Amino acid sequence: MAKDPLAEAGFYFDELNKLRVLEPEVSQKTSELKEECKEFVDKIGQFQKIVGGLIEMVDELAKEAETEKMKAIGARNLLKSVAKQREAQQQQLQALIAEKKMQLERYRIEYEALSKVESEQNEFIDQFILQK
Amino acid sequence: MRLKTSLPKEPKHKELVSCVGWTTADELYSCSEDHQILKWTLLTNETSLVVRLPEDIYPVDLHWFPKTVGAKKQTQAEIYALTSTDGKFHLVSKMGRIEKSVEAHKGAVLAGRWNYDGTALITAGEDGQIKIWSKSGMLRSTLVSQGSPVYSVAWGPDSDRILYSSGRQLIIKPLQPNAKVIQWKAHDGLVLKVDWNSVNDLILSGGEDCKYKVWDSFGRLLHSSSSQDYPVTSLSWAPDGEVFAVGSFNTLRLCDKTGWSYALEKPNTGSVFSLAWSADGTQLAGACGNGHVIFAHVVEQHWEWKNFVITLTKRRTMQVRNVLNDAVDVLEFRDRVIKASLAFDHLVVATSLQCYVYNSRNWNTPLIFDLKEGTISLILQAEKHFLLVDGSGLYTYSYEGRLISTLKFPGMRADILNAQTASLSNDTIAIRDKTDEKVIFLFDAMTGRPIGEGKPLTHKLEVLEIALDQCGPSTERKIALIDKNRDLYLTSVRHLGREPKICKIGSMVHSMAWNDTANILCGIQDDQFTVWYYPSVVFTDKELLPKTIYTKDGSEFARAPHILSYVGAKVTLRQRDGSLVYSSVPIYPALLHEYSASARWEDALRLCRFAKDQHLWACLAGMAMANRDLNTAEMAYAAIKELPRVQYINFIKEQPSKDSSLAHMLMFSGHVQEAEATLLQAGLIYQAIQVNIDLFNWNRALELAVKHKTHVDTVLAYREKFLQKFGRKETNKRFLQYSEGVEVDWEKIQAKIEMELSKEREKAANTTVRSSVASRH
Repeated sequence: MAKDPLAEAGFYFDELNKLRVLEPEVSQKTSELKEECKEFVDKIGQFQKIVGGLIEMVDELAKEAETEKMKAIGARNLLKSVAKQREAQQQQLQALIAEKKMQLERYRIEYEALSKVESEQNEFIDQFILQK
Repeated sequence: MRLKTSLPKEPKHKELVSCVGWTTADELYSCSEDHQILKWTLLTNETSLVVRLPEDIYPVDLHWFPKTVGAKKQTQAEIYALTSTDGKFHLVSKMGRIEKSVEAHKGAVLAGRWNYDGTALITAGEDGQIKIWSKSGMLRSTLVSQGSPVYSVAWGPDSDRILYSSGRQLIIKPLQPNAKVIQWKAHDGLVLKVDWNSVNDLILSGGEDCKYKVWDSFGRLLHSSSSQDYPVTSLSWAPDGEVFAVGSFNTLRLCDKTGWSYALEKPNTGSVFSLAWSADGTQLAGACGNGHVIFAHVVEQHWEWKNFVITLTKRRTMQVRNVLNDAVDVLEFRDRVIKASLAFDHLVVATSLQCYVYNSRNWNTPLIFDLKEGTISLILQAEKHFLLVDGSGLYTYSYEGRLISTLKFPGMRADILNAQTASLSNDTIAIRDKTDEKVIFLFDAMTGRPIGEGKPLTHKLEVLEIALDQCGPSTERKIALIDKNRDLYLTSVRHLGREPKICKIGSMVHSMAWNDTANILCGIQDDQFTVWYYPSVVFTDKELLPKTIYTKDGSEFARAPHILSYVGAKVTLRQRDGSLVYSSVPIYPALLHEYSASARWEDALRLCRFAKDQHLWACLAGMAMANRDLNTAEMAYAAIKELPRVQYINFIKEQPSKDSSLAHMLMFSGHVQEAEATLLQAGLIYQAIQVNIDLFNWNRALELAVKHKTHVDTVLAYREKFLQKFGRKETNKRFLQYSEGVEVDWEKIQAKIEMELSKEREKAANTTVRSSVASRH
């Protein structure tokens, strides 16, 4: 193959017959590299996106877990305090019951006294009728 | 009775409320640690900010300057004393302007109270000092210095003593420097609050041992509550002294003055730091730890009389139930009900502006009249009229609504009268004096003027309770009184000339009541329920009194019950634990009283024979003797086997003249001087002398004889005989002197006596003839 004088001067023709200063092989490799690089950047970008999403998701989860945790603690505390509240309520009701019991006892005594008066009066009426 | 509370949804104060105070019955001021003073208007349900205090003032206690002083109305602009944690107290006007701030104590000023007439303010501090200030805020004196903070202080009823807490102790200190201090251990924990009521003179205390206690003014314990769930942080007497309120954590309690509890409420308030009653005693306000101000009023009060039961269902509504036919009437009022009373067929209701009078036969058309001054503190009823007591005076009204009389007397303190220290009957009003508790003022109910030349009745000891009898003519009116020693006395209200005798008829009497239809008295004597069927018997025949007393074993009642009413044959008593008990009294004595009042002695005798009761016979004997019906009296005395009395009655019957028998009847009742006077008035000198001789009243007999120059020898003869019998010698100088000149001749004396008697007989015969002649013409 004869040496291309152009080639020797460092000039080449490409397929479209345009004059070039770079060897077509190198040029091809370069463009290939460029392609590959682009692909790589794309891939990296994608990866980053995916990872970002993941992180976000995990963060969200963490947050949710945190609130749930707080809720759980709150509920647990509430439960504890409800028991206490019930106790207080029970105490209050007990006090009210004791009060009512006392009132009932008073009414019972009053009833007894009235029954006694009634029996006395009946006795008196009987006696009165008998004597007449 | 219970408290009806109202609590807004959201607290109006941001921090705990420390104190509250009423201006009128519808307006309240409250102070809080958020530095705000709020005004609560109940009529419109509005709350408005009066003033925002400077940031460094944390209020502790508030007390309004007293409105009325005795009967006078205060003209001064309304101010209140506000104490704060920085050791100052401030005089603040109604508009909220701080008129004066005074540096009073080191540390917080824990309490500030005006006395009852507004002449002095007392402050108690954390530094253990109690200081007295003048009305304008000038220091008068430091009354107390002690090592521990004084948490609470209260004035005594007359503003001459103070009560304060010192750790677990209570101390009563008179203002006079050298007077005796009373001090006692009251609680097992710190005493946090005290109060002293001016009407019933009782002391309340509450402390960290979760108990509240009632004391009398000598420091004797009357009631101690069971241990509550939380410390007692506040308590307050209602102005009339009938009930009090107790506050602690989430708790509000209404109690009777004897200590038992009417009702318990558990509102969501936090600790109640201060309680205040409005002046008319209808509203209660509490300062709550969570920023609330709680309001309460008393409902479901009951009044009972015969077959009617009346209940205060709401503030302005009453329900009348006739238990005989279950008919229900509802009474509506324009204003709040302040006081009510049901007796003698009438219901009297005092609201804040008007007075309603209902007849029990007609609940639809009350009689309404306006009241001059708002707050009625007491209503007393008698058969024909009723008495209204307000801050400025006492007024008698007829049931037709007519003002009959107005009472006024010097030193009157109408605001502190209660049913124990005032009594009303159809014709008389009795009032125990406040400054001298031995004195009882008596007034004619019709005119309002004092009875008996304005001279009041004076007992030898302090009188605790008085009661007028309700029946019979006004001349026979009697008053029963219980004194400090718990002795029961009886005396008549109207008298001619001489001071009436005050006769003791019982001891250890805790409570008493007259019957509404007959002059029968019932009481709690020691632990027994006692009925004096005819207490006036003590004026005619003292020894008959025990025979006319009916007792019932008190074991069926708890210790020392209190008598509420004695209507018809039914006595209503309230036990210490608050339960009502009833007791029936035989109806015969009331019938007997009726017969005796209408002089139907035959019927009275028949009744006694039918009932076969010694008590009844004894009553009849007393009544017949008092009414000088000798035949009935003789039979009655015979029935109770009082033979000496029967004999004496026979002796009276044999008396030759009316005057003599009258005199001997007086003698029978032990009225020797009256008997003698009667005889002397009738010109029966010898008989008068003889009466004195019979009583071994030698000096008087001789005196009479010498004065009238007759029967000196008779007196000397009897004296000689008497001395001989006892084998003694004459030592009386006057007798020695007269016996020298007079010769004793029994025959002559007998003849003289015979002559006197025949003279009397003749005279009596003449008068009868004359009177029969006169009646024929």
